[in-house]
Amino acid sequence: MGKKKLLRRGWFGTTISYIYLTLLAIIAAFPLVWILLSSVKSKAELAGDPTVFFPKHITFENFRIVFEQLNFGRNVGNSVLVALSTTLVAIAISALGAYGIVRFFPKFGRKLTRVLITTYMFPPILLAVPYSIIMGKFGLMNNRIGLVIVYMSFSVPYAIWLLVGFFQTVPIGIEEAARIDGANKLQVFYQVVLPIVAPGIVAVAIYTFINAWNEFLYSLILINSSEKATVAVALKSLEGQEVLDWGVMMAASAVVVIPSVIFFMLIQKKIAGGLAAGAVK
Amino acid sequence: MKSRHIKAQITSFCFILPALTVLALLLLYPVVTSVFYSFTSKHLIKADYEFVFFKNYIAVLTDPDFWTSFLTNIKWTITSLFFQIVVGFLAALAVDRIRKGKSFFRTILIIPWAFPSIVIALSWKWILNGVSGFLPNILVKMGIVDTVPQFLSSANLAFPVLVMINVWFGAPLIMVNVLSALQTVPRDQYEAAQVDGASPLQSFLHITLPHIRIVMGLLIVLRTIWIFNSFDMIYLITGGGPAGLTQTVPIYAYNVGWGLKMLGRSSAVTVLLLIFLLMVCMLYFRILNKWEKEA
Repeated sequence: MGKKKLLRRGWFGTTISYIYLTLLAIIAAFPLVWILLSSVKSKAELAGDPTVFFPKHITFENFRIVFEQLNFGRNVGNSVLVALSTTLVAIAISALGAYGIVRFFPKFGRKLTRVLITTYMFPPILLAVPYSIIMGKFGLMNNRIGLVIVYMSFSVPYAIWLLVGFFQTVPIGIEEAARIDGANKLQVFYQVVLPIVAPGIVAVAIYTFINAWNEFLYSLILINSSEKATVAVALKSLEGQEVLDWGVMMAASAVVVIPSVIFFMLIQKKIAGGLAAGAVK
Repeated sequence: MKSRHIKAQITSFCFILPALTVLALLLLYPVVTSVFYSFTSKHLIKADYEFVFFKNYIAVLTDPDFWTSFLTNIKWTITSLFFQIVVGFLAALAVDRIRKGKSFFRTILIIPWAFPSIVIALSWKWILNGVSGFLPNILVKMGIVDTVPQFLSSANLAFPVLVMINVWFGAPLIMVNVLSALQTVPRDQYEAAQVDGASPLQSFLHITLPHIRIVMGLLIVLRTIWIFNSFDMIYLITGGGPAGLTQTVPIYAYNVGWGLKMLGRSSAVTVLLLIFLLMVCMLYFRILNKWEKEA
């Protein structure tokens, strides 16, 4: 008999748990399901009976409008470019930083983690004012590089926070052995430590990508041409059009939200809980 | 030998230098700039500005709109946080309890967490749409209401609906963190308690809660700040309306800075916001430190 089975659990509580979770699952998933269903319905069906669940005819007309008329592919390109650059730079900076904190400055590191929590406190709207002024000064307004720089402000603290937890699991013995063999600190980092924590780094990188892909406020304030707009801001501008076409908006929403959901499901086990765990350590 | 030691220190320092630079340039420097501009008449477009001392702060603090926003913000934070914790905590306990379908429910329940704010806004606006929205129409069809309810433009409904959307979005994060905190509670303590004849409620109060309260405390700190600062969701769903009923301080700051184009005054608002959050956090951390010492 397994140890867990010693715990008696009443069927009543378990049934209630299933009912509660099923109810929550329906509520949690409904907007995603509704986006997908609405995106393949025709205009007539959307305007007809709004309570009909499944489309009678599946049409991809909305997606055609999104990509051919609205040129949404360009915005997807912008977002991929910005989010990918943000991820690469942020992970390089954070991996070095988190390793340095864990291995060389553990005492100072504990203080730094507190500082990272404090940066969490800065209202994004507080940073938005100086960012718009500073970016204007350096000619980085309406510039995708400027956006990547600003995105470091939330991605680096977050990534360091999560990565510190992963680096703490690397046994120092392995590193010392490599040092004795004559490798310098950077070589030890690259050749010994990085491969061990690679799965963690990939998870944090994907999380960083999702956050950059989803970001709205800075993109709204710093980018002012539709050519350079990210998906979030391009989506917002669809809503400003005179005639609201919900089918088209849902098709565009599907394009934006599906990558986020899929990537997030892949990494959730690794990221989940790291937030609180990393800060308590 | 000594110079070698210093050299080693320098290489070690190089590891954290880029991260420190980011912190200094992108977080510390902007905050200092904000404090500086809050004492000036900085305009969004005009280049020249002058020093106005406390004029911005006086203007903000004597504006009844600011205080209304502040109260709305507190109401928004407390109600959202409360329901996020209740829903998320119960979900964690439920997932922890069941045997089959654990990872299925976990995966489905975190979906809202991955949503970009603009998609949260658009999808809920579409679901709640006063003409062809699914929910208002199904409520009419089921005979629960007579006329199609205007969820986002009615004075009575807009705020609670916004809070519900925020609970939908935020409860998964609470659930996942509580769930991983629950894993750290040693199982044999439950067994021992059961042998001693403790009720499930007693086990929960005397074993589970003391084990996870530090993680919970920290979660509450972080969520309080996040919810207090949240801009996207409110801005995108109601824009602070109807009639300013859902206007929180970040929305107020945005309207002053980008609507009225008074960046200086907007800075004053955000600096006040930061000061308030710092005070709240100091209070929280004092409690947390006490708990950590007891543990």
